[in-house]
Amino acid sequence: MSEALLEMESPTTTEEANGAGAVNADALEHGDLLAHDDGLPAALISMRDIWRTYEMGTEQLHALRGVSFDVQRGEYLAIIGPSGSGKSTLMNLIGCLDTPSQGSYWINSKLVSAMEDDELARIRNQEIGFVFQTFNLLARATALHNVELPLIYAGVSSADRRARAEHALGSVELSDRMTHRPNELSGGQRQRVAIARALVNNPSILLADEPTGALDTKTSYEIMNLFEQLHELGNTIIVVTHEHDIAARAHRIIHIRDGEIEKDELTR
Amino acid sequence: MSALLTEPTEESRAAAPRGLLPAPTRRRARGWLPPIFHKTWESLRIALGSLRANKLRTALTLVGVVVGVAAVIAVVTIIKGLDQTVASTFSSQGSTVFTVSKRPQVITSREDFIRFNRRKDVTQDDAESVARLCTACWRTGIAANAQATVKAGDQSSDGVRVRGLTLSMYAIEDTDIIAGRSWTDVEEAAGRDVAVIGPDILDNLFAGAPPEQVIGKQVRVEGRSYEVIGVTERLGKIFGFSRDNFVQIPYPTFKKAFGARVSLIVFVQVPEDAQLPAAEDQVRNIMRNRRGKSFHDEEDGFALETQAVFIDLYKTATANIYIVTIGVAAISLVVGGIVVMNIMLVSVTERTREIGVRKAVGASRRDVLLQFLIESVVITSIGGMLGVVAGFLLAFALASAMGFPLLFSVASAILGVTVSSAVGIASGLWPAWKAAKLDPIEALRSE
Repeated sequence: MSEALLEMESPTTTEEANGAGAVNADALEHGDLLAHDDGLPAALISMRDIWRTYEMGTEQLHALRGVSFDVQRGEYLAIIGPSGSGKSTLMNLIGCLDTPSQGSYWINSKLVSAMEDDELARIRNQEIGFVFQTFNLLARATALHNVELPLIYAGVSSADRRARAEHALGSVELSDRMTHRPNELSGGQRQRVAIARALVNNPSILLADEPTGALDTKTSYEIMNLFEQLHELGNTIIVVTHEHDIAARAHRIIHIRDGEIEKDELTR
Repeated sequence: MSALLTEPTEESRAAAPRGLLPAPTRRRARGWLPPIFHKTWESLRIALGSLRANKLRTALTLVGVVVGVAAVIAVVTIIKGLDQTVASTFSSQGSTVFTVSKRPQVITSREDFIRFNRRKDVTQDDAESVARLCTACWRTGIAANAQATVKAGDQSSDGVRVRGLTLSMYAIEDTDIIAGRSWTDVEEAAGRDVAVIGPDILDNLFAGAPPEQVIGKQVRVEGRSYEVIGVTERLGKIFGFSRDNFVQIPYPTFKKAFGARVSLIVFVQVPEDAQLPAAEDQVRNIMRNRRGKSFHDEEDGFALETQAVFIDLYKTATANIYIVTIGVAAISLVVGGIVVMNIMLVSVTERTREIGVRKAVGASRRDVLLQFLIESVVITSIGGMLGVVAGFLLAFALASAMGFPLLFSVASAILGVTVSSAVGIASGLWPAWKAAKLDPIEALRSE
């Protein structure tokens, strides 16, 4: 183990003498905290002692209390926890919508936790594909235009953009719905448009927040199958959920409770 | 230990399949246009889309800007047209001519009017003294004016200007005669009943007959018959008044018909405008002597005027019109701008979630700022363009109703659209900045 990493680890181990430290020890045993020679973490996602504190008047509310974990490329991870556990806060941090109050977060060897707003926007554009519970499609735009959206902000030319968006919609089997607007699509179709949008710029991570929360059982099943296929194709997927049967589809589950990692288990 | 937990080597990282899509290249193919272009185009599309989605709101938002720009365009168009007419009118006589008369042509107060009326009339003797004594003067002429009803056959026209002129006035006024001739020295000296008529007389009394056909015909003015010997070129209207509605007769004839007790206007011309001040000084001295004015007397007892008086008056008048118009335009643009700002704030609030989505997929603050700024500029520049069109139409309607000349000015159209775009930027900045600094998490959570 490199010295650089030991240095990095040192605050964590002191902070997490109670409980969470066990997880860390477990993770260390797997060797996934190993760094490259340049001192940067090898993992796709690397979180070290992440704290997120909200000021509520004079009170301080700790939504996350020193969370550390790694995610490797190609993993299918579920983050599960009851409401108020801090999993939404964690999702926002993973998705670079928010920055931690304390701690270090790397994506693809880039130190995201120190970034400014516009740099974070760039990371979201290039590294993260979001899938939301309520789809969050633009109501006035066609499916095609919705999928093109990340490419617009990536500065892709319009011909290229169209080709890639069509391809992405094709891969979620919506080639015949490209000119439809969200209100002309079913819930499952909308979520597939959202997935196409999430994938169109080849992000490093597909980050889904309760992706089946607004869908019926059958459609949920279809969407989860789609995630499985995407995982098999090599995508890194992180699903944030409070439903155990959704989490059970993942290959690794991180349980969050009271702002800490309660359990980090490999299920397959 | 599962494969995914092994430490990935550089090769395995490179080889790892990324994403569902075997996209052409991982590095984005940017094309030959810079990213800002795609983003701007996207913003323009969004802007037009949202304006189309709220047609009534957009229309109401536009009103202020349209009124402001239309007011400016209408006034500029009319005044530019007037400028041109005024310039060509006064340059035809040029700055080599001045007049001596009892009253100035422009009187601004009742007191002045009474004072001027008490003055002595300008007489033929005055005119002859000026002609005899002024060495700097080149041409002098006499004009006496009266309003009269003119008849020919069973046709009649009221309020025609009857001018008694000396022959030299044709040279001073540079009158063009398109048919017939002016009178001769002999005819003038003898006080013959001959007349040179303006084109309006042709229209009103001879049913628009060709000028050549009326030569030798008779016109009756105040019961006296005159033989038409010439027709002048058409000069058109100025400020809505025709300059072609006159009958010119020799001054001696005018005296016989209207009497000698009409105050004259003495016209003086110098060869070049540099000599004008010297000639004016001489004429003033001659006239003050004739009025018995001492050196200390402030009052001349007559009016000595050049064309500059009219041009100055005209400039003052148009400057005032411009100031009022700019005031009206400024107020309506400010009000319009506030309306646009209000609508943009509503738009930002309504679309908070959309802003959240855009930020989530990678829109930077600048992208969001630009989107709303462009939307605001699109609104106001559409308003500006509508204002330009409305202004031109208004000017056209006014001009054709009142006989004003028109000059469409491309510069004013460009200015109108530019100013309205600037209003768009000014009033869009705050709402756009508000949108740009929205927290993506809260924006996504909003309903």
